[in-house]
Amino acid sequence: MNTMKWLVKREFWEHKGMLLWAPLAIGAVMILFSVIMMAKGHDVGLHMEGPDGEFTSTTVTIADAQSRKMVELSAVGFPAIAAPLYISLAFLVFFYSLGALYDERKDRSLLFWKSLPVSDTTTVLSKAGMALIVVPLVVMAAAYVTSLVILLALYVVLAFKGANLFGALFATPQFWLTPIRMLSLLPVYLLWALPTVGWLLLVSSWARSKVFLWAVGAPLLVLALLAWAEKAFALGVDLKWFVKHIVFRMLGSTMPGTWFFGSETARDAMQHAGTIGREQGPLLMFNEFYQQSWQCVLSTDVLIGAAAGVAMIAGAVWLRRWREEG
Amino acid sequence: MSALISAKGLTKRFGKQAALDNASFEVRPGRIVGLIGPNGSGKTTTLKAVLGLCQFEGELSVLGMDPRSHRDELMRDVCFIADVAILPRWLKVEDAIDFVAGVHPRFDREKAQRYIEHTKLSPNMKVKAMSKGMIVQLHLALVMAIDAKLLVLDEPTLGLDILYRKQFYQNLLEDYFDENKTIVITTHQIEEVEHILTDLLFIRDGKITLAASMDEIGERYTEVMVNPHSAAAAAALQPMAQRTVFGKPVMLFDGVPRQQLETLGELRTPSVADLFVASMKGTYE
Repeated sequence: MNTMKWLVKREFWEHKGMLLWAPLAIGAVMILFSVIMMAKGHDVGLHMEGPDGEFTSTTVTIADAQSRKMVELSAVGFPAIAAPLYISLAFLVFFYSLGALYDERKDRSLLFWKSLPVSDTTTVLSKAGMALIVVPLVVMAAAYVTSLVILLALYVVLAFKGANLFGALFATPQFWLTPIRMLSLLPVYLLWALPTVGWLLLVSSWARSKVFLWAVGAPLLVLALLAWAEKAFALGVDLKWFVKHIVFRMLGSTMPGTWFFGSETARDAMQHAGTIGREQGPLLMFNEFYQQSWQCVLSTDVLIGAAAGVAMIAGAVWLRRWREEG
Repeated sequence: MSALISAKGLTKRFGKQAALDNASFEVRPGRIVGLIGPNGSGKTTTLKAVLGLCQFEGELSVLGMDPRSHRDELMRDVCFIADVAILPRWLKVEDAIDFVAGVHPRFDREKAQRYIEHTKLSPNMKVKAMSKGMIVQLHLALVMAIDAKLLVLDEPTLGLDILYRKQFYQNLLEDYFDENKTIVITTHQIEEVEHILTDLLFIRDGKITLAASMDEIGERYTEVMVNPHSAAAAAALQPMAQRTVFGKPVMLFDGVPRQQLETLGELRTPSVADLFVASMKGTYE
């Protein structure tokens, strides 16, 4: 366990810019921008789109019913303000995983790491754990703080305009529960992103050079060959299925939220959620979001994908152990 | 005492080329062994096999373990510097010490810090700001602070200037080596290590061609600066090599008793470098 702690520290030393400064900088820019816009008196509001329809709660004249809705919506939905950070998470995890086992071979420090009593399994697991747990946690923390600061700034503006809603916000239990509910998505992300992280780690420990080309090119090349074979010989290959269940899962699953694309029921449910939101309030809409996330990743498809991810990570361990550099 | 490393019939092929060809040798504890051979003779492959870094055929036991299957346990008692001056560029001196202290049960932090105090390294310095010599100093500080039973050095001083090289071996001898430790070292700078070695292993074309302690070398090999009038008699004893110094023939004999040679001229123990050159004759032809 102690070794694992040092391996994680090691990754932070190496990737400080990418894993620490990048999310902090994005968050800081977002906060700064919001505060400047608010200070300049720009009309601020919380526009939140449900998949089916839109809530808008703009400022100035906040009638009682509207303000209640606004508080309710912002108390559960404010993490969505940090969407850019969640998008950046996809890229951070993707490129971190791609370099994780390649960089140490490229800069030839591999033999130094191998001269220490740390097994290949532990090392590779530390890198997988970074990609699937630590980096998402860091981004989540940055996103939470960013969205919270912007939310509170918005409430300050509202208070200046005569609508002090702080009391109502703080009295909403959902507001305090939000971090825990966000954390509950971490295992969802882990299971969902496993095949992509596994594939990238495998390429990272295997490719002699040009890791990006291999990682992205290999699945696309297979797709092109399948498309060609399908056209030429009409084999009845379901290309759409291949894109959705293989190519996308190998390359795109580090993007949080994409698990909804994976399942029909979830897609339907999320379409439904907009209606729920309009009719029964934002709380139930977001409840639906969390619940569906969990349901999605407990489907057989996703579990098979996760198992494939684990197998590819095992492959990466094996390669790191036995690969002989020329 | 039983052998620390025992290799029997090590064979390793890269395609059709054999890097190791049925090599067998033993290394006893408390020795400093020089593994010496020309380029491409299988030195590095031998060390990689010992360190569990490559697959091979044959039997190999290091500290009683097979490095192929017990590499992780082995690394607690074995330390190595392979490839000179390669530490990750982003690593800071203090982080390097913290990390090794964190993952290595036999690391003595004070010892590493004491050693670093005698260099120009500062705790905040990153590897990318260091000269090659400084990187080796850092690496050596880390390695010397590990109480390992076996230290393997593969060309540890390649590309360093003479000051760093001398200092490196001096530190190794004075602050690190004792009767409980064993060092296996490969280098091309034979002259610089020959006075610290206790044993020699010559390797050529993947085969061990000579395995002896320095004492045995002194008994077995004799170099004679032959008096001109004895030249014919000396040549009749079949020297393994002959060169000329100041017009006098200098001959290297293998296994000829000293009493027999005394009459021929001035005797001395050959340098390892001369022995090496003599025994590797024709390697690149």
